[in-house]
Amino acid sequence: MFGSLATLQPRQLAAQVLNFALVLSTAFMLWKGLSVFTDSSSPIVVVLSGSMEPAFQRGDLLFLWNRGQETQVGEVVVYNVRGKDIPIVHRVIRRFGGGSAPLQLLTKGDNNAADDTELYARGQSYLDRSQDIVGSVVGYVPFVGYVTILLSEYPWLKTAMLIFMALTVVLQRE
Amino acid sequence: MADARISPHALPDLKSTTDDALANYLRSLHFRQHHAKLDVRLALGYLGVAIAAATFAADYRLGWDATKRWTAVAVCAYAVVNGGFSWWIWQVEGGCVFEGVRGGKKISIASKTNKHDPTYHLAVTDAAGATREVQAPFTAWFTADGFFVARPFQQWLARSVGAIGEADAKNAASDAGGSEGGEIAAESEGFATGSGEAGGVETKGKGGKRLKRKG
Repeated sequence: MFGSLATLQPRQLAAQVLNFALVLSTAFMLWKGLSVFTDSSSPIVVVLSGSMEPAFQRGDLLFLWNRGQETQVGEVVVYNVRGKDIPIVHRVIRRFGGGSAPLQLLTKGDNNAADDTELYARGQSYLDRSQDIVGSVVGYVPFVGYVTILLSEYPWLKTAMLIFMALTVVLQRE
Repeated sequence: MADARISPHALPDLKSTTDDALANYLRSLHFRQHHAKLDVRLALGYLGVAIAAATFAADYRLGWDATKRWTAVAVCAYAVVNGGFSWWIWQVEGGCVFEGVRGGKKISIASKTNKHDPTYHLAVTDAAGATREVQAPFTAWFTADGFFVARPFQQWLARSVGAIGEADAKNAASDAGGSEGGEIAAESEGFATGSGEAGGVETKGKGGKRLKRKG
């Protein structure tokens, strides 16, 4: 399998490696470009829990938009709990402030009995629109996100996938 | 080189194996290869990769909010560099597989294949700028099970391209049995060469079936 690589000149080998490096770079830059466009640190997220059923199921892929500063009650937002890196997808049920005052939001999962006050960091009773919100949900694709859930629950899958991709691209001569 | 076996049905494999063989052959004839085009392509490509790597590092260390503006700049820069890279491959390189100089004379060779057509097309540009096109079917130098045979390939090149023929008189002068496109020379360890073998003989030799050209 690697015999074809052994016969390559150094420049050609560099060109083959470049092909794979460009695949990774372009994927990453497309992601960053989407981030810049939506002004969101993570413009596409996967629903991890069932707290928003029946609207969103575990494994749904959500598309976010973060340029609307006047978030309304009833919008579904994604936020990070301060200090933790887990995105939570819940609906806004109360808002305070807005306009010239900083906007503060209270959220609750459709499928939860209580609002999110328990989930917020200690001493935090509301979300700050400008600080904590990753974006509002503007669209979704059902079920596709399950791949991401698999990848995070079985991290060796990530490595295996990457190695497979690398081999495919570097050994291909088109 | 002749030891590696490829799928004789995969046109990209046929083309890339032949391209590599062409470059190797010309280098063995003391053509000094110019790498300028490939170097520019590598430079553009790795510049893009460097931009992406820097953006990744900055985002990893400093987080999204701090790097937002620079990320926007980097995305635009990457789009420009990547666009230039693609344009370079498409327009400037244009299928060029060898550029080199021998005896003060420059030669530039570009190859192409058409979809679903197993013919190897070469466009040879000499020092004066005149371009000549030659072509041959891949069957002339590949066996039916995908082994590359160097000799008929070199003979075809030496006969078709003047500059190569000058450099390799032996292959240019050899008698390849007449039929255009050529049959594979009956090459095998131990067999005498002589593409003068009549096309009707099918010998069972070691190393794969030989391709017979009818008519």
